Amino acid sequence: MTSESTTIDLQNSPVSQPKPAGLFKRNPPIAGEAEAIESAKAGDAEAFSKLYALHKRRVYTLCLRMLGNVSEAEDMTQEAFLHLFRKINSFRGESAFSTWLHRLTVNLVLMHLRKKGLNLVSLEETINPSEDDAPKRDFGSRDPQLAGSVDRVTLERAVASLPPGYRMVFVLHDVEGFEHNEIATMLECSTGNSKSQLHKARLKLRELLRNPESSTPPAVFKEAAK
Amino acid sequence: MTNLSDLNFDEMSLAEFEQYLPDFFATYNGRISDNPQFATFLQANPDCAALVRDLEYIAETAKSLFEPTEEPSDAVWSNIQSKLNSVTSDSDDPTETEPPPLAEA
Repeated sequence: MTSESTTIDLQNSPVSQPKPAGLFKRNPPIAGEAEAIESAKAGDAEAFSKLYALHKRRVYTLCLRMLGNVSEAEDMTQEAFLHLFRKINSFRGESAFSTWLHRLTVNLVLMHLRKKGLNLVSLEETINPSEDDAPKRDFGSRDPQLAGSVDRVTLERAVASLPPGYRMVFVLHDVEGFEHNEIATMLECSTGNSKSQLHKARLKLRELLRNPESSTPPAVFKEAAK
Repeated sequence: MTNLSDLNFDEMSLAEFEQYLPDFFATYNGRISDNPQFATFLQANPDCAALVRDLEYIAETAKSLFEPTEEPSDAVWSNIQSKLNSVTSDSDDPTETEPPPLAEA
């Protein structure tokens, strides 16, 4: 586990901004969560352990999808909850707690990636895939449609094999439900860039799902299952 | 920057459709295939219609990934406990308690 300082500046993070109503639908309140939050704010360690138990899987899965690495995902899960412990008093209930926690986690992961030298400011230039990885074409195909043919496991495998830049935006938008303007703020890019990356990610997924052999095995999820 | 409302949806070229498709998805909440504005164009361009349906299907299926499948190892909570313990032991407040064992979800 990482031992680096966890005093991370999230001043620019949008964790305290109100969320669109849409995400409340995907993040409904969890029974007992509100009481645990209030108790944890008052320093109740048992309540904090309950919050960990309630949210560890989602936070970890989010980290795993963003980082593609079990060890790093566990490190960032740890950092996210340590950060939560210190910052929980700043949660004012303007969004669902899980939404707030996920934003906090995403920002920590992005800071971690920046520290590693992955420049997220210019997605196009730095984590855009090579021509080989880019989606080949949009139109001109009469192949069978995907509808009804893709299950969760197959999609998970395809997502895991996306180039990092595509995967990041796809996970944030289509899985986590963040809006393009939120993603643009987090990734420090334009909303147009976010839209473009998402579109390319979906096109690439279409390609991968039509040719499953071209998807690399979801090593990260196999590793996690060990 | 072109305003989408200025476009003639019925007479768009394939290139225009391709160019604006990311904006269409963003503007119309990811639903294009059942939007009457695109009906004529998609009927005239079945490949575009197939592409749109596939991309909508991918986005819809992605929502199923929201529910988590993976779980961190027990070592993660142990490390958190350890770090919180060290914070507690550094604290001036002797009434602070140690973190308890992990609660059941």
